[in-house]
Formats: sequence, C-alpha cells, structure tokens
Amino acid sequence: MVGVSRSVDDLLTPPLTLRQLMWLRFRRHKMALFGVAMLILLVIYSFGGAFFFSEAYANTTNTKMRLQPPMAGHPFGTDTVGRDILARTIYGGQISLIIGLTAALVETIIGVLVGALAGYYGGLLDSVLMRVTEAMLSVPQLFLLIVMAKFFGGQIPDLTVMGRTFSGSVIVIISIIGVTSWMYLARIVRAEFLSLKENEFVLAARAIGTPRWQIIFQHILPNSIAPIIVSATLGVAGAIGTEAYISFLGMGVRPPTATWGNMLDGAYNYIETAPWLWIFPGMLIVLTVLSINFVGDGLRDALDPRSRAT
Amino acid sequence: MKRTWLYTLLAAMIVSALLLTACGGPQPPATQAPAEEPVEEPAEEPAAESAARKVATFIWTQEFDTLNPYYTNMWFSAITQQLWNAWAWDYDDQNAPHPVLVAEMPSEDNGGISPDGSVITMKLRDDIVWSDGTPITSEDFKFTYEMVVDPNNAVASTYPLDLLVSLETPDERTVVMTFEEPFASWQATLWHGLMPAHIMRPVFEAEGTIDGAAWNLKPTVGCGPFVLTDWESGSYARFVANENYWLGKPKIDEIFMRFVPDDASQVAALKTGEGDLGTFIAYSDIPTLEAEGVNMITVFSGYNEGWYFYLDPEKGHPALQDARVRQALALGFDRFSLNEDLLLGLTEPAATYWDNTPWVDPSIEPWPYDPERAKALLDEAGWIDTNGDGVRDKDGVELVLTYGTTTREIRQDTQAVAQQQLSEIGVKIELFNYASDIFFSSYGEGGPAATGANDMFEYSTVPNFPDGDTSEWLCREIPSDESPDGINWPAYCDEELDALFQLQVTQVDFEERQQTFYQITRKIFEEALWVGLWQDPDIFAIGPRLKNVKLSGATPFFNIQEWDLTE
Amino acid sequence: MTRYVIRRLLQAIPLLLFISMVLFVLMRNIGDPLATMGGRRVTRSSDRERLTRQLGLDKPLYVQYFYWLIGNDWTKMDLDGDGVAETPGRMRGVLRGDFGTSLVNRGKPVLEVIWERLPNTLLLMITSEVVVILCALVVGVYSALRQYSLTDQIVTTISFFGYSLPIFFIALLSIYIFAVNFKRWGLPYLPAVGMFDPQVGKTPSQVILHMVLPVFSLSFIYLAAYSRYIRSTMLEVLSQDYIRTAKSKGLPRRTIIFLHALKNAALPIVTVVGLDLPFLLAGAVVTERIFAWPGMGRLFLDHVSRADTPVVMGILMLISIAVIVFQLITDIMYAWLDPRIRYD
Repeated sequence: MVGVSRSVDDLLTPPLTLRQLMWLRFRRHKMALFGVAMLILLVIYSFGGAFFFSEAYANTTNTKMRLQPPMAGHPFGTDTVGRDILARTIYGGQISLIIGLTAALVETIIGVLVGALAGYYGGLLDSVLMRVTEAMLSVPQLFLLIVMAKFFGGQIPDLTVMGRTFSGSVIVIISIIGVTSWMYLARIVRAEFLSLKENEFVLAARAIGTPRWQIIFQHILPNSIAPIIVSATLGVAGAIGTEAYISFLGMGVRPPTATWGNMLDGAYNYIETAPWLWIFPGMLIVLTVLSINFVGDGLRDALDPRSRAT
Repeated sequence: MKRTWLYTLLAAMIVSALLLTACGGPQPPATQAPAEEPVEEPAEEPAAESAARKVATFIWTQEFDTLNPYYTNMWFSAITQQLWNAWAWDYDDQNAPHPVLVAEMPSEDNGGISPDGSVITMKLRDDIVWSDGTPITSEDFKFTYEMVVDPNNAVASTYPLDLLVSLETPDERTVVMTFEEPFASWQATLWHGLMPAHIMRPVFEAEGTIDGAAWNLKPTVGCGPFVLTDWESGSYARFVANENYWLGKPKIDEIFMRFVPDDASQVAALKTGEGDLGTFIAYSDIPTLEAEGVNMITVFSGYNEGWYFYLDPEKGHPALQDARVRQALALGFDRFSLNEDLLLGLTEPAATYWDNTPWVDPSIEPWPYDPERAKALLDEAGWIDTNGDGVRDKDGVELVLTYGTTTREIRQDTQAVAQQQLSEIGVKIELFNYASDIFFSSYGEGGPAATGANDMFEYSTVPNFPDGDTSEWLCREIPSDESPDGINWPAYCDEELDALFQLQVTQVDFEERQQTFYQITRKIFEEALWVGLWQDPDIFAIGPRLKNVKLSGATPFFNIQEWDLTE
Repeated sequence: MTRYVIRRLLQAIPLLLFISMVLFVLMRNIGDPLATMGGRRVTRSSDRERLTRQLGLDKPLYVQYFYWLIGNDWTKMDLDGDGVAETPGRMRGVLRGDFGTSLVNRGKPVLEVIWERLPNTLLLMITSEVVVILCALVVGVYSALRQYSLTDQIVTTISFFGYSLPIFFIALLSIYIFAVNFKRWGLPYLPAVGMFDPQVGKTPSQVILHMVLPVFSLSFIYLAAYSRYIRSTMLEVLSQDYIRTAKSKGLPRRTIIFLHALKNAALPIVTVVGLDLPFLLAGAVVTERIFAWPGMGRLFLDHVSRADTPVVMGILMLISIAVIVFQLITDIMYAWLDPRIRYD
C-alpha cells in the first residue's frame, strides 16, 4: 500500500511484467514478508549455528548434567542424558528443514505426475489413478503414517553423506510423508490439466506433432504452476508439522540424530518438571510452520490471477 | 427460513452424540452385566456409610487386555491376580511361598512331593469358596487344567501344565499331579490362578471354547480378597471387598483402578493424592514424587536389563566371537555412572542374568569401568585402528557394531551414552530402535533380535522367578527356518552350558541345583555372554494414606487384605 | 438422484475392497501380536507355535485376508496341530458384519471393543466441531465485513498461529498453563486428564469440566482454518452482483448479511464441514493420548502397538466407510441446497 500502487497509475511508466506484478502483490502481503525474513533467520540459525557447535557436541552426553534448566553454559538447558538443547535444536533444525523440503518435493513430484497423467490421458488411467487417490483420501493421513512408520521403521541402515552420519529413518520419514500427502495436489493438477488440454495452444502443439511428454511438461505444466507452487510451499509446512506428530507419537527419526520433532518425543513426561525440553523445539516448529504458511498465503495472493490485490 | 437447516443439523448431531454417550456410558454399573451379577452388590449399597467407605485408587498406565489369568501375559493384569483371584500359594516380601488355596506347601516331608520329584500332591484348604459362595474344590483345578491344555482355547501359555502326564482328583480336597520327569521349578510356575468350573463349564459346553466367555473380561466371581464389580474400557476397573474371603475381610472397602495412558498423568495423580498407588514409574519421576511425600518401594521380580550379543558363528560379527571383545565392551561402558545418574542410584549394575536370586555364584562382582583394560583387551584380540579413522579394525573388518533396542526412553538414553563411551575405546556403534512388538517378534516374523539383524541388543527379561529356570540358552531353542519360534536369540550353543541347563531343571535337591547354577552363572559372566546393565526392579509409588503395605517381587499384592487407608 | 446414489455406492465397493486389502497387508507386517503379548518377556516357543495355529496366523496372508473378509465358518481348522482340520471355523467375516475378535482382548468382538469407545470420541469431536463452527461463523463473518481493518488483521494473524500450531504443542501448553501453573498459583485449575474424577463419578458436570481443555485445543486449531474459509467465502459472495443489487434496493444491512450473503456462503462451508467430520476421528489420536480421553484414538494407538489386526482394521474400515458416506451426503446436500446442480 505504501507508495507502490501510486506508480501503477502513472501512465508514463512502462507496463509491468508478470514477474514484477507478482513481486508487487507479494510485497503488499506484510505477513508474507515477515515470513520470508523469519525463514531466513531460521535457516541461518540451523545452518549457521553449525559453525559454533560441532555435531559431536550436540550428541555429547553427560549424565551428571542431565535435565539442567537453562543456564550460562546451556542457554536452553539440557535433556535427559545431559546433551545441550541449544546445539540440538541447531542440528535438529537442519534435519527438520531438510525433511520438510524433501518430503514436500516427493509430495509435489508424485502429485504432479499423478494429476498430469490422469488429467492429460483421461479414460481408464484417469479412473484408476483417481480411485487410488480417493482410496488414500479415505483413510486419515495420521493413521496411514502410523501404520507405515511402523512398517518401514528400523529397516534402513544409517547413511553417511559428506562425512556426516544420518539415521536411515530420515529417509523413511521423508518417504512416508511424501507418499501420504500428495492427493490434494494431484486433484488440483488434474483439474488444471483437464481445463488446459483443450486450449488452442495445446491443440496446436499436438497438431504439429510435439511429443506428449513435451506437451505435458513444457506446455501445460508451466501454465498450471501457480497452484503447484502454493501447494508445495504449504507442503513444506505440513511436512515439518507431520514429522513432529509422528515423532511425538514415538515413531519418528531415530536418535541420536536430532530433529525438532523427536526432541519432543518423551518430553510429554516432563511437561511440568522440565518444560524447556519441549518449549524450545516446539516454538521453533511453530515459528517455521507459521512463517511458511505466511509465505504460502502471500504467494497465493501474488500468483492468483483472480486475486483482487493491486 | 432456509438457514435453519444448519442449526437443525447441528442440533441433531449434538443430540445423537449425547444419545450415543448415554448408551455407552453413565449408567450405574449394575445394569451393565445382566448375566452373572453376584449378589454382594445389594449387600454393599444399603449400608449408607459411604462417608466412611475406604476407597484406594490405583493408577495404572496400561489397561489389562483380559483378566483371565490364563489368557494374559500382561504384567498389569497379572499383578491384580492377588486381588480378585488366587494362586495356589503366593510369595511374601522375602519371596518365601505361603499357602493360599492349599493347606500347606507340598514337600517331601509331608508327602506332597514324591521322592523322585515327579509326583506332586496338593491338599486344599477346607474353607475356600468363590466370592458367590460356591466352594472351591479339586474340580476347579481339574477344570482349569483341562481348559488350559484344550486346543480349542487360545490361552496365553500352557506351561507348565502341558508337562503333566496326568492330573487326578481322588477327592474334593486333593489334587495329584504327575510329571513325566522330575520338575524342579514347579513351585514358581504352577497354579497362577483358577477358573470357576461352575461358571465356565456351561460356556465351554455351549460354545466349544472359553475364548469368548464373559468371565474373561468381567470376572465378577473370584476368589481373592476383592471382587471385580465393573470395568469400563479406557477408564477404570472397580474391585470391592469380598465378604467371603477366607483369610480375613480386607480393611479397605474398595479398590479403584484408573487407567491413564502415560507416566505424566500417573505422576500428576499420585502427587495430588488422587492416586494411592502407581507402578512402573519412570526413574526420572521419582525425586518429584518423593518430594511430595510419596513412598517409593522397589522390589526385585527377577528382571535384569542387559546386552545380548548375536553370536552365530557364521552370521554374527566376527569380533563378537572373541570373549575378549565382549569383555572389553563391558569394561568400556561406565554402567556405574549410568545407574547413579540416569537411574538415580536406585539400581545397581547387574552382574548376571540371575541377580537377586539365590542362584548366583556369590563370588561374582560386576565388570568394573576400566577403559584402559578394555583397550588393552581389544589390542590383544588383534583389533587395532590400522587406517587411522578412529575405529578399530582387523583383517579389513571395521569394529562397527549395530545396537538395537526398543523405543523406551531409558533405553534410548542408554544407547546414546554407550555410543559415546564406546567410541572412546575405538568401537563405533550404530543405533537402532524398534517398536516393542516388532523388536520382540519371532524369527518367523523377521524380528530383529530373533534374526540377529543387529550385533547387540538391549532388553530385560527374567527366568521363572523366583526360580532360576529358563530355556533361553538351550541349543534346541536357536531359531532357524525349521524352528522359527526358538527363543535362543543370541544363537549361542555351548555343549557344556546346555548340559548344565538340562541338568538343573531335574535337580529337586536345592543345594545340588544351586551348585549347578553357580557353574552356569560363572561361565556366562566370565565369557561376557550377557552383560548386565542394571538390575530392573519393579518400582511402586505408595501414597501416604496407604498403611501396612508389603510388596513381594513375584506376587506384589500378597497381603492386600491387610492394607489400610488412613486420612 | 436415486440412480446417482446407487452408482456412487456401487463405486465405493471396489474402493473399500482395495483399501482393506492394502491395509490388511500392511497391518499384518507391522508387528507380531504374539511377540510379548503385552508382557515383559518373550512368549515361550511352544506357546507361540500353538497360538499362531489357534489364531490362524500361520495361514498365508491371502487366506487370512479371505477369512477376515468372508469368514471361515464354511471350512474346518486344525487347532491341535495334528495336521487334521477337524474344528469348524468361527468367523463370519466382515461382509456378514463380523469384524472378528480382538487379539489383545482375546475373544472380545471387535465391534464391541470399538463401540465402547466410539461415543466418547464422538462427544469430544462433535462438541469441538460445534464450538468451531459457531466461533468461526462469528469471526469469519466479522472479519469479512471489516476486511483489512485492524481487527481483521489481528484475527487473521491469530488464526494463522492456530493453523500453524501442532495440536500436541497447544495441548501441552494448555496443560502447562491451565492445569499445572494455575494450580501452582492457587487459581482455580482445570483437570488435565481423564473423562471424570473417579471420586465424584461420571456426572455430566465432571465430563464437561474435563472436556474444557481438549475441546479448547482442538477448537483453536480448527477455528483458524474454518474462519479463514468463511471469511474468504463471505468476501466472494459479498462482491457478487445480487448483493450489490440488494444494497442498492436499500435493504437493511443485517438482512443482506444474514439472509442473502451468509445463506449463499453456507454452501461451500457445508462441504468443508461434511468432508472434515470423519477426519475429526483421526484428529482425536493425539488429543486423546495427551488428555487421556478414553476414545477411539487411544484405542487405535494401544492396539496398533500390539499389532492387533482385527481391531485396527475395524477402526480403519469404519472411518473409511464414514468418509465415503459423508462425501455422498455432502454431495446430496449440495444438490438439494443448490437447484442448479444435477447429478443425473
């Protein structure tokens, strides 16, 4: 609102490109800007913090120093085996953010593929894919997650990436979150494809013999990118929250690899005696999810052509 | 006008919810069991002394699956058996047997045990009755035996009644049991509960099985100091004093068991005094409870937490085949600080699988914490860090061990500490956690511990406490494709050890049997086939109102009729 | 319409079969019901061998599924392990309304196990839903009418907060504040766990008191999503021509908002509520666990942890059926409310 819309009225300025228009719309959404700033801070916190604390330190146990409240050496206190909670929220943040991003990626890939194939080809393929989608939608996600987390739990060994060892259960969690959350996106993409595939530009492309995958991925997909981006953004928030849920129920990432979620596992028993165990990771989860949701909302306003903003 | 539909819909939903709740819930308990409601209910109510009624509340973190003693393995159900059912004899706080249904303990002196130990004769008391007044006779024992071994009944365990050749009842007060071989551990295993023939037999005759008998879930006829009146799924179970109990009417009028799903709610209830007794308390909660005046009583029921190694000569990790490596693992992990800090000094490191029983060679002391000696042993065994990656290796094999256990908090914490300390002696540990129903699955089901998916496992188990017998170390119990249910999960077979185990179970003479066990415990300890982490006692929290409480390891509530409640 | 309903119901059958098949396979592979059977020690090998046979767990998976689906009373089972099948089966199968018996509460019919808990869950869920809808209507309509006002901004921010809070966090926080700290400060505090105080008994006032915190936690989270939704639907409706017409006709503001706008905005709201209702049962899982509410969510967790396939399958199938039925009801209601929609 501040000083931006004035210039739009000015006939002398050249017309804005779509990208500029989006940025203008996004900028108007103050919450979204706050979200972006917050996210940047959170990324700096979890990845920059690694320069101050080593991963070994985050996993160092000291049973003499267990359940210490926040104090000089341990600003966030210590956990049940005397590990520093501040360092663990830093390394946990890395894993939680990675889980959020990759799970949302898995979700988006599956959702787009299923939606695109169903929408473009229609017919039998469409029926089969949509029945599967419906079936998955008929069972609440949390129930599916619990069952699948148990099914795959403990089957994947640890992996070492770039000199760091990650618990194999990270992969399990990413996959099961991705696999149980793509259904809404698939429906959106399918609807977009259904309406776009009869457009002239698609018919024209088909007439000149453009390969099908090219029509799907280069012609139709870019035109339905807006809802996909919004959905993927919100998916990141959803995945971080979901990881916290299954960790809270004790089926998340295996220790000693920390995530914000599995730091909450068992914290329930310390609700009264050691609230710092759950308050810090809990607040970080809330902040992250909140910021991403703000950004997603801003993106929706900015990308939605029907949006009344600006 | 049209918007009224929304309100109509909402109103309909609320009404239907309330109706549903009304159906399932708040009726008085009496109307819920039309079938076999005992007569003592009216006897309780009109006494209009509700103000003076002594109600003790127990806080249970797990709800029993079933109450029929032969259908459950659950500890939370088993410990209620002294409340409403009865073992033929139970154990006092010194773990000495004392007769309940029998007049005296069978022994060689009173002719209860035949000289070769294969025939046991029980003489029943004359005054024992079910809570509905029906006398308990040898017929109930015979019926219980027949039901347990009948293939139509999916009982939890047939052991040891399946070892019987015959069970005879020459008269109403005598039960004669004949075993194929002398059976040394009869005292700890026989007659953990009784089923009422007069109630269950008609069910069995009508349905061909007692799996679905109402008595299993609602045994309103029992033979303990208390009797169940109602059990509401997910909320509570209520037991009232049994007027007909032969060892004296209990001082408390009612025991109310409340089910809460987790430790925090349990601790909260105990602190506020809403609960008078809780059990399976997390170690971390003990200081706060004690600060509120709750007494903590620890009793040993034979459980010891420890490390098992997967020792299969082909599939196991080559390092673990060497006793020196196993000893080094024991020496390299500071189990004393672990007990002091994580377990708050309430426990001691366990030395053997049989700690707190008379079966352990008294000369055994737990392995000390001595990382230098651990390193020396590893060097001696040839495990040296040749490539400088901080992890010892030998013949191209790195000393990386996978360590699996359940998801219990104290176990995960132990894993984290062990991982760090063992890395200091050059052993790298990778951690695995499994839900307990997966962790303890059989070989046939692909259970990680049974198939040796990891190199070492942590869990806690028990012999036939207070007896020392166990089949866990027998060669024939090694699981394989042919015998997928075997429970020798370390897959360790040693002929000498196997022979000792086979021998002790037939040794009726206590001293001789003890000597055999001394050999067994020394061997398992010295070769570090099992490394004890802590003695795993049962912890009971007793609120300040409860008096005269004594607890036993094997049968915790053995004197519950003597407990009292004061303000 | 009737034909449409019949067609939808017919379509649901293969869907449910597919769901049940996948879930059954998953369930039978996520744990061993005989591992410890809830005890602290491993089941003896001879008992395990016998129970596997008696409970039919030794059969190939597809046979177990068929027995679950169509029962086994038409065939004979070998219970004593002599290799001769002589005892007739006792299951009638899901298709004949028999969901089997629980493995945990051995011999207890699954429907009975679930039925004991279902009303408690419904009580909690429907109360929360009513609270949510009523509050969301007030908040949503208000902020739509005053779009971009300070109140709208605040409401939007708070609702985003609620939307982003994991339910366990708000539940923990509310216990910490209203149960633990209020008590510590000597204020009137709320009970944190259970459905009623055993000393008082299951009276309506006790149940209501114990419902306050769980309903608050659940409502707070759903309120955010619903009020946002109502706000945007209202905004859309308010910009329609007929509202402008009504305004220009000089109709009272109150009439316009409540009679015209809200009525039309109600349509999409009904959809959301209808589709969400069965999922509320799932939302109960964490809430019931934290507040020790004796409902179906806790039942699910307890029985999953012991791999009790019959009960877990029963719960999942009932929810799936509820989802499908509610979808259908929503569609029918949609058509009934909006005469422009025709399904035939």
